[in-house]
Amino acid sequence: MTFHKINVTINDELEQIIVPSNMTLMQMLRESLALTGTKNGCSAGECGACTVLLNGEPVNSCMVLAAECNGAKILTVEGLARDKQLDPVQDALIQTGGVQCGFCTPGILISSRALLNRNPSPTEEEVREALVGNLCRCTGYVRIIESVMKAAEMKPHQI
Amino acid sequence: MTLDTHPALPEFEYVQPQTLNEASEFLSNHTNEARPFLGGTDVFVRMRDGFLSPKYLVDLKNLSGMNLLTFDSQSGLTVGAAVNMNRIIASPEVQAHCPLLAEACRSVASYQLRTRATIIGNICNASPAGDTIGAGLVSDGILHIHGVSGSREETLSAFFLGPGKTTLKPGDIVTAIHFPLPPKDCAGKYLKLGRNQLSDLSIVGVTAFGYKDPTRASGYRFRLALASVAPLPLMPTNVETHLAEHPISVETIHEAAHLASEACTPIDDVRGSARYRKEMVRNLSAKALTEVWKKLG
Amino acid sequence: MAEPKIQNSSPVGESTPRIDAREKVTGAAIYTDDLQFGNALLYARIKRSPHPHALIKKIDVTKAKALPGVKAVVTGENFPGYIGLYLQDRYIFCRDRARYVGDPVAGVAAVSEEIAQKALDLIEVQYEALEPVLDPEAGILPDAPILHPDLGKYVVAGFIYPKAGTNISNHFKLRKGNVEEAWEKCAAVIERSYRIPHIQHVPIEPHIAIAKVDERGEVTMWTSSQSPFAQRNLIAQSLGISQSEMRVISPAVGGGFGGKAGVSMESLAVAIAMKVKGHPVKLRLTREEEFFTAFVRQGLVAHFKMGCDKNGKLLAMENRFYWDGGAYTEYGVNIARAAGYSCTGPYEVPNIKGDSYCVYTNHPVGGPMRGFGMPEMHAGLEQCMDELAHQIGMDAVEFRKLNCLKTDSILATGGKIHPIGLEDCIQKVANAVDWGRKSAASAPASRKRRGKGIAAMWKAPAMPPNAGSSAWVELAEDGKVNVGIGGQDIGQGAFTISAQVAAATLGVPYEWVRVAAPVDTRYSPYEWQTVASRLTWSMGNAIVNAAKDVRKQILDLAAEAWDESPDELNIVNGVVISYKSEKEAPLKNLVIYGLPNPDGRGWKGGPIIGRGNFMPKDVTGLDAETGQGEHGVVHYTTGAQAVELEVDLDTGRIEILKGVAAFDVGKAINPELVKAQMEGGLVQGISSALLEHLQLKDGYPKNASLVDYRIATSSDIPREMQSIIVEVAQDDGPWGARGIGEHSMVPTIPAIANAIYDAVGVRLEGPPFTAEKVYLAMLDAGIVK
Repeated sequence: MTFHKINVTINDELEQIIVPSNMTLMQMLRESLALTGTKNGCSAGECGACTVLLNGEPVNSCMVLAAECNGAKILTVEGLARDKQLDPVQDALIQTGGVQCGFCTPGILISSRALLNRNPSPTEEEVREALVGNLCRCTGYVRIIESVMKAAEMKPHQI
Repeated sequence: MTLDTHPALPEFEYVQPQTLNEASEFLSNHTNEARPFLGGTDVFVRMRDGFLSPKYLVDLKNLSGMNLLTFDSQSGLTVGAAVNMNRIIASPEVQAHCPLLAEACRSVASYQLRTRATIIGNICNASPAGDTIGAGLVSDGILHIHGVSGSREETLSAFFLGPGKTTLKPGDIVTAIHFPLPPKDCAGKYLKLGRNQLSDLSIVGVTAFGYKDPTRASGYRFRLALASVAPLPLMPTNVETHLAEHPISVETIHEAAHLASEACTPIDDVRGSARYRKEMVRNLSAKALTEVWKKLG
Repeated sequence: MAEPKIQNSSPVGESTPRIDAREKVTGAAIYTDDLQFGNALLYARIKRSPHPHALIKKIDVTKAKALPGVKAVVTGENFPGYIGLYLQDRYIFCRDRARYVGDPVAGVAAVSEEIAQKALDLIEVQYEALEPVLDPEAGILPDAPILHPDLGKYVVAGFIYPKAGTNISNHFKLRKGNVEEAWEKCAAVIERSYRIPHIQHVPIEPHIAIAKVDERGEVTMWTSSQSPFAQRNLIAQSLGISQSEMRVISPAVGGGFGGKAGVSMESLAVAIAMKVKGHPVKLRLTREEEFFTAFVRQGLVAHFKMGCDKNGKLLAMENRFYWDGGAYTEYGVNIARAAGYSCTGPYEVPNIKGDSYCVYTNHPVGGPMRGFGMPEMHAGLEQCMDELAHQIGMDAVEFRKLNCLKTDSILATGGKIHPIGLEDCIQKVANAVDWGRKSAASAPASRKRRGKGIAAMWKAPAMPPNAGSSAWVELAEDGKVNVGIGGQDIGQGAFTISAQVAAATLGVPYEWVRVAAPVDTRYSPYEWQTVASRLTWSMGNAIVNAAKDVRKQILDLAAEAWDESPDELNIVNGVVISYKSEKEAPLKNLVIYGLPNPDGRGWKGGPIIGRGNFMPKDVTGLDAETGQGEHGVVHYTTGAQAVELEVDLDTGRIEILKGVAAFDVGKAINPELVKAQMEGGLVQGISSALLEHLQLKDGYPKNASLVDYRIATSSDIPREMQSIIVEVAQDDGPWGARGIGEHSMVPTIPAIANAIYDAVGVRLEGPPFTAEKVYLAMLDAGIVK
């Protein structure tokens, strides 16, 4: 078993951490750092529950090795709200009623935030396409899609 | 899929060589024990399933030249091996000079997976279902390969030996894929049939490409590549010949589509039956070729 | 005492925001795998049978035990007790034989999941493969291998009828009138058969259980659960301990859909934990294991025969169901029963012969999944209704309206149905898709065809006649409210409506009410299970009773202090008011400290705590031979869905253009939550209709992963959805409410099947209606070439 020391910025906080070669970013977040907002739904890159931003782009954190993340910047669901103020994607999702069991929710929010970062006024089609890698079993997606359209109209809390 | 999938990745050592030479040497010194990877989206899944158990995983993503995406007006488009599919889709150079490649990339999986997935990974996997292989073939892609004894180039059409098998030797690293300048007035289309509307693996994938060519009897040259219907990505040459020699019409396209269907050798698997695949090759080839023909005018 | 006056500000009927939304969107909600246990935590993995049916000759665990880091290896040898909800037919670990691919044969606890996984490879098991039973109709043949030779000895609930010496673990019979005579009077008769395949719940959070056994032998289990109390009950019984010696705690649940009800893998964690006392042991299923080693929705082979007179009135039905119950049917036997007493669908039929068989097969274990047999049954039944209507020359909507149950209609099981709005639901969905008008034709050269389809449904909560709920209500010094319940929020919003109901009954703002979560059997009041769409009705009633108890105590206290009658007092917005004297007192403090006596001598009152319970009282049995009984179920929720879809002639692919649902929920306590259930259910229904199939070949799951078991993504939902709430009050429901959680998935498969027929004229033997199946059916019928 080999280990790697990595410096990684997570939700704007620098962490220095030692990880085994076979640890995924998802495992590092959940087990080493107790950032359990990011969820493990399949460990195979299929369900999207583990989605985080890696250097600004959404990835399935179960498909990234922690050891690859030296020098990387990560955003997880815990980092979306700033000083207790919710990100518009979070606010909008509450308002439209797009949360049921909540297990897909962190991944959905990260994918939504990433979409609005690269495309501030998406069409409904673009929202559907952007979320196709985030499986939800409860809501039927309707209110989730609605929430992203709504968040696009809301004032961003911070750049 | 196996019934004994591991909960997480089995043990291995993560290796990050600093130069191409270092990487090639390591890989050739540890043949059968070391596996290179870029995005990891295929390798990690197969490791959990127990199909792969390398002692070393060698990360090639940060090696020199792997992250470049450049267009040269004389020689064409060069895509570094580590360029992820989202970057390819968003690239103005790709949109302008090889939009078929962007279209193929866009059909793959999900945005999250495309942040990691690469066309070189897709190609080196040599799965008959690879979505970007067809685009690479019809665009005459050339692989740049760095090996222990130096660099070489290999046309994509000569690259595949069988499902999961390529001409790569131990120590070989594909550093980029190069696409020569496309013909003037060309058009392409990738039609992918999955189970979901978006995001699935292909049951059948049809890549059609065409351009005006006054040297052909029909005035056109068409190329067709088929995914998931043969052990390798299939480019039925009799289809190309038929469309080169006969005036293009609804009938000739249908005949060509029929030839494509005859040429493929699909199997029954969890995603679809051979019978259905043959039908879809015919229907989707006709559709894709028609669309390309219309675009060409 | 006066009934609680519904204030203008009563939250019942309002779409109050979810009580738990914020913690879910911030990532703060704690699910079972998020709990932190420190270094004492051990990890478990399970060694499973690779054979669908085999004798276990020998298990050698010595090498596994010797692996550094392994703390315990257990087998069935250590656990002789049977376990089961309605029928105790399984062991915690296999003992003498394995009955499905995935059946637990041994368990390992180790310091890491990796080491536990490695240890599995070191466990050596010798099997003797036996011939498997792979089809329920094959399972009842006289020469079929008998999977449970001891069936006659199993402990079984009084309303389940296993046939010893066979593979039939339950046979429900419905006999009414005289079908043989009735056929002769029919102007049209339809006979059809359907095969409904296995599917799985696919909750985004896989099953997980963490168990710890202390030195006294008392058990604590943390698990993602719909049924903490049932799990406590069943596991305790099986291990020979008392229910109070076991504690079950369920943190947030990442989806259940029935799969996390009863006991599936949870007992494994407890069993392993018994061998490493003092250590919590975490067992979590991989996504791949989730597909076939917990619960699946059992397959069904259904044969329908139904006939009507020349006016379209149904005269007779003869329906036979063979349920592919899987290796153990301790839960599935009740699915067969529920389908048996519901076998006519929501229609009045005077002559019925119904037989519903639960059959053992060497397939994954069938258990409760959203709809509890109703989606599988309606899949075929509602297609037959369409075909029969067609044969008699009647419109499908008119045919259903003619025959559907209306208030006081006679039920298949005898007795009359309570007031329902089914006909209204049918008409409303028909209107919403513009029924009667052909779909707007696609462009002339288009290779697409459009069609519309409709289906109706009914379902009663399928549960024992004495399934109970209880609740407590207490307040803090600040006057705010804490509600204790044993039911779970699995996403449907149970905690939210609990707060609404408590607030409305008490007379406090919704925002003042918290729900005491996570549910913990040590502190939470008893709840049978979070299943059967029963919580709003049953638990809602218990909460109302508890809140009324509190209200009475408060008003009695104030009445005494003010020397008035409680009838002239009320609680409005958290303030006790007198209509007579206009005196006021906020709830603050008085709910803990009481009120001082006017003469300065002492105080009256004390800490207010209210309790309430609810249990159905008048459910009668159903006769074992005829299935007749005056009040066999507590009530029915009915409804309908309609779809408009487009078939691609070149690929067979289906796109749902519009999906509409209408359900009679009695009273929508929270309308947006009700609609959210309708939307989610419709999409899960579409997913089950077009995509889902747990492929089993020779007993082996072939697609147990998300790569090849496809579910609906954001790209697969209808372009347009509409959810219509119909409210015909349930007389014994809180504010008239009854359940909706499952019903929204029930009619979707046949609505789609009927629309496909309308579009291209083909019907298939069963879902999923994949592009391939539709295309090849069109090809074989000459509709395309």
